[in-house]
Amino acid sequence: MSNFQVTVKEVDSVIVIATDGYLNNIGGEKISEVCDEYIDKGKNTFLINLEKSTVVNSIGVSILIEIIEKLQEVDGRLAYCNLASIVEKTFNIMGLTKYSTIYKDEEAGVSDLTS
Amino acid sequence: MTPESQYKDKIDFYLSSLDELGEVLINQQGSTGITKAVLRIILGTMMASKGAIIGIKRTRCKVLSSHGVKSNYIEFKIDPNEKKDLLKYKNSNLNKTHLKKIFNSKKQDTLSSYFNSLDPSIVVPLFHKDNLLGIVALSKKFTGEAYKAVDRNVLEIICNHLTDSLYNQELIANIKDKRMELRLKVLELQTLFDISLSLNSVLDIEELSSEVLIRSVSTLNASSGFILRAQKNSPLLSVLSSFNVDEDKIKDAMFSKSSVPFKSIWKDKKSIKISNHKDNPLLIKSGYKECLVSPIIGKQNILGCIVLGDKESREGVIPFEKNDTDILEALSSQAGIAMDNAKLFEEINAAKRFNESIMGSIATTVITVNLLGEIDTINKAGKDLFGDKAKHIIGEHYSYFFSKDKNLCTAIDSAEHELETISELNTSLLTKSRNTKVNYSVAPLKDEKNSHIGLVVAIEDITEQSKIKNTFKRYVSKSVVDQLLDDEQKLNLGGEEREVTVLFSDIRGFTAMSEKMKPKEVVTTLNSYFSEMIDIIFKYDGTLDKIVGDELMVVFGAPISREDDAERAVKTAIGMVESLKKFNEKRISKGKVPVNAGIGINKGKVISGNIGSKDQMDYTVIGDTVNLGARLCSFAGPLKIIISKSVKNEIGEDYKTRKLEAIKVKGKRKPVEIFKVLT
Repeated sequence: MSNFQVTVKEVDSVIVIATDGYLNNIGGEKISEVCDEYIDKGKNTFLINLEKSTVVNSIGVSILIEIIEKLQEVDGRLAYCNLASIVEKTFNIMGLTKYSTIYKDEEAGVSDLTS
Repeated sequence: MTPESQYKDKIDFYLSSLDELGEVLINQQGSTGITKAVLRIILGTMMASKGAIIGIKRTRCKVLSSHGVKSNYIEFKIDPNEKKDLLKYKNSNLNKTHLKKIFNSKKQDTLSSYFNSLDPSIVVPLFHKDNLLGIVALSKKFTGEAYKAVDRNVLEIICNHLTDSLYNQELIANIKDKRMELRLKVLELQTLFDISLSLNSVLDIEELSSEVLIRSVSTLNASSGFILRAQKNSPLLSVLSSFNVDEDKIKDAMFSKSSVPFKSIWKDKKSIKISNHKDNPLLIKSGYKECLVSPIIGKQNILGCIVLGDKESREGVIPFEKNDTDILEALSSQAGIAMDNAKLFEEINAAKRFNESIMGSIATTVITVNLLGEIDTINKAGKDLFGDKAKHIIGEHYSYFFSKDKNLCTAIDSAEHELETISELNTSLLTKSRNTKVNYSVAPLKDEKNSHIGLVVAIEDITEQSKIKNTFKRYVSKSVVDQLLDDEQKLNLGGEEREVTVLFSDIRGFTAMSEKMKPKEVVTTLNSYFSEMIDIIFKYDGTLDKIVGDELMVVFGAPISREDDAERAVKTAIGMVESLKKFNEKRISKGKVPVNAGIGINKGKVISGNIGSKDQMDYTVIGDTVNLGARLCSFAGPLKIIISKSVKNEIGEDYKTRKLEAIKVKGKRKPVEIFKVLT
């Protein structure tokens, strides 16, 4: 039913995960799997590009919180970019932005995360 | 080493372990971090090779930390009876004998099966009051020694601290959960608020339904959903919008409001939750395990319904709760109002387009003026009429726009004050140009409550008609002009062959007569003469073709043919002679010379049409018939009427005639028969 897609690339030691589709339980799990894989490889800085994920539910958000907790254990960071206003509002309400950063676009995110 | 020093060392060892425990409990955060550190302390202190700390919540167990255990499971179940039995060892610990008695289940994926992998020699239940938070299980010591009482006591001390810590962690987790619940509530409220705002601003039904659906799916953690729309004159429901659904499943599915489950929704107008019904057609068609369906209720009827499927959780699909139904009903209620508004907006737009289409298709200019006197609308005919001037007409005060047409402004003013329709016919519209002739009417504009809301000004451009009238009125009678304007098909001004009767009249001895008169008197005499004659010509609907000098040429049968063309020509001639006799009587009584004209009439085929150059076109007739008519006129003596045989044949015996000697005419082989009409 879900056709959530992720594409991953590494830009200056930042793992950029571009998503496409509904960020729900399935979408969140896919992101989490990618993060686990790269954490195991020693990476700890992740930027999620949500340009093509304009709908998110609280389960997806709770998975992102779990990823933040995992990254805190390895002194890592999670950030997002290209958020639709409704997604940004949801992240704010769910308290996500207290522990992670929102960037306007990928370039701004990578630039700040590597500085 | 003395037993005392051995004992002291042992005590120091235990104390350093407890000291380390204190540091761990202070510094570590999160149950996983704490249990990992505590297990390491326990294993070291107890000199055990294998062990695990297992968290327990209701009947679910989760390995929080383990060492040396080869098990495929980190999550499993605990039997409620096992939990009850453990309560007997609340402030104590269990050895192998106790464990065998309690944990003897053969089932996989249970705490008993996990113990098979661990083979614990000692287990301490972690009770906070009567609530079992977890257990600490250790295998035998790697030294092979049995656990002594002091070991058990120290282990119990550590486990008591661990219990307090786990309880605190649970409290923190509960607070986190509550905080998350609170945030979810805020999110729900924010969604309802946002949606009420966006629903008020979005007037496209499809965009609207998509917004409602996406908000509903995401707020209620549904995996997907779709909106079905009721159709006019059909029980079938069409998919208005969908989100994250398997398109193939619903694309060809047929949903009917007269079948399960929609029948009851349409009847009761209430939301329903469908679960555990393998035979339910909606679950089969959608592929959902469970779904929530809420009607979208409009002012008059149910407009459709929202279907949400499979509520998500981290543990998989869970049932929709009462709160979910309440939220979905709130959202669908908002959607109902908004969709009604959007529908109304669509209808208003359609009516507006319909009106505009009508207004655009009519040839009369229609302008509406509001109560402030500003021009609100103008139709296409109006834009065409005023051209560039119409570009800035909207919003302009009528008195400015029509400033050159004082009469029209007065009419608008009067219509507004007297609330009556005011019309004027055949007047100039100076706003357009001096030559523009119009009929206009100004009428009060009223709304459905009959309240005065402005004025409507209708302007009919009659410039072309006026031109025709002006052109023809010099040549034909008013009745002929009116006939021409009534039926344009009669007005064939292009060249054509037609049968007409031509009448010529010529003043006998005009040259000699005019030589005796002053030029002004000649003009006055001729104007009086023509005026009398033309009255007679128009009386019988003759077309005054031309006046050349003192000669008149009149056509009957062009541009409009009638059966009695020849007879009317003869009647005209007789009328002219009688009128001329009276005209002369007056002249003679005043001592003036009489005017004597001779008249010739011929009937036959001519070519008629607008003839001339592009600058000077005149409607006339040409041909032999015309030439012969002129010749007959030249044969006619003063106050005499000469007609051809073709005319004689047409008028029959009602008119007395006398045959004259046939005349020779240039271009004709045989002499032409002619007749004198006896008056």
